[in-house]
Amino acid sequence: MATPVSVLRLPKGPDPNSRGFDPRSPRFIALCRTSICTSAASEADPEQLQREQHARSVLRESFLRCLLSMTDKKVQFHMHEKVKVAATFGASDIDVLNFQVSNLHTPIGVQKEALIRCQDVISFTFDA
Amino acid sequence: MAMRQTPLTCSGHTRPVVDLAFSGITPYGYFLISACKDGKPMLRQGDTGDWIGTFLGHKGAVWGATLNTDATKAATAAADFTAKVWDAVSGDEVLTLAHKHIVKTVNFTQDSNCLLTAGNDKLLRIFDLSNPEAAPQEIAGHTSAIKKALWCNDDKQILSAADDKTIRLWDRSSMEVVKTLTFDTSVSSMEYVADGEILVITYGKTIAFYNALSLDLIKSVEAPATINSASLHPEKDFFVAGGEDFKLYKFDYSSMEELESYKGHFGPVHCVRFSPDGELYASGSEDGTLRLWQTAVGKTYGLWKCVLPEDLGAENSEQLYTPAPEIKA
Repeated sequence: MATPVSVLRLPKGPDPNSRGFDPRSPRFIALCRTSICTSAASEADPEQLQREQHARSVLRESFLRCLLSMTDKKVQFHMHEKVKVAATFGASDIDVLNFQVSNLHTPIGVQKEALIRCQDVISFTFDA
Repeated sequence: MAMRQTPLTCSGHTRPVVDLAFSGITPYGYFLISACKDGKPMLRQGDTGDWIGTFLGHKGAVWGATLNTDATKAATAAADFTAKVWDAVSGDEVLTLAHKHIVKTVNFTQDSNCLLTAGNDKLLRIFDLSNPEAAPQEIAGHTSAIKKALWCNDDKQILSAADDKTIRLWDRSSMEVVKTLTFDTSVSSMEYVADGEILVITYGKTIAFYNALSLDLIKSVEAPATINSASLHPEKDFFVAGGEDFKLYKFDYSSMEELESYKGHFGPVHCVRFSPDGELYASGSEDGTLRLWQTAVGKTYGLWKCVLPEDLGAENSEQLYTPAPEIKA
């Protein structure tokens, strides 16, 4: 009888908690841009570039202030797969890859402390 | 000593897998995308079948999926009347292209700048991805839903297969039909092999090979069962086919002889494709799984490990998983 070919292991299946595309994989690190590039129009025109840079710094500052003002507030997160969860916001990590939250309300109960993966988040809202 | 093929099963989809495509060979290996009726196309590492990510966003069954050559972009065609373009590294949706009916097929040009789409509204559409707001170019002619549309002849021409039992060759610049092939029955699949300009077509139990430029028949063969998809090995020594009897068939391309058949799927095989290096082929089935099959059974490649008789029982051998013989129902 013929011997079946041996395998080292079976192919890895999907992670039930994430949509994948691991940001720590070598391909992601090499190919994924972590910031938006300068627009083509700005590369040509120095004045346009200055205006674009100014707009970028205004937006960045605004985003960072938003994260600061969210501390200890109740935030609603809209995530992939129609997931809507609410939690008390703690802090973000430096690359905005994870949000540290407390009292995360989920359909299966309240999690005292949790980390929310930013790439799974579509949007979030809170009352300032 | 004869070795028996061990297919690798990739689970994760919850409904039939209807289409699959490989990327080219990239510095990070090659990749595989699968289209599924569950609406969630998946990206996998091509040589191992390991899941990398799921493209989330479609609101209906995904009928077609493709990757560009360097696997940086993906495109999908769905029953929600849209085609979507994705960043295949981050998994983010980049573009949604609205259509008037179910979209069945998507294909990138070699430079990834244009996307060809087609589906149940019987029109071929060409989208300029650098200017997605602009209306696409539309090519009319088919009288039924288009099943598959592909760029060919260095992206200068388009091949389309539709339920009107024809395959048409179109010129991209003039948008006119150059040649039409008519069949007695609907064509179930079409594969374009650029190197050698060969078109692989399946209809009924027939697997046929045509010259992609002239649409002249090169040769054909009948399989033991109705075939849904076939693929030619990059070196053109073999071709594989799968269909309604759940089996995968391997043929010699020169002699057109059936060499082997493999059982494994629990439902009809909808799609089968060789990897870009020809070392394996992937099949997608009604049973919701993808299976990877070795071209050279017993060779060490990917997750398959060649074990010589003297290695068995060695003290320092790695942990190996040898599947138990399958119980036949």
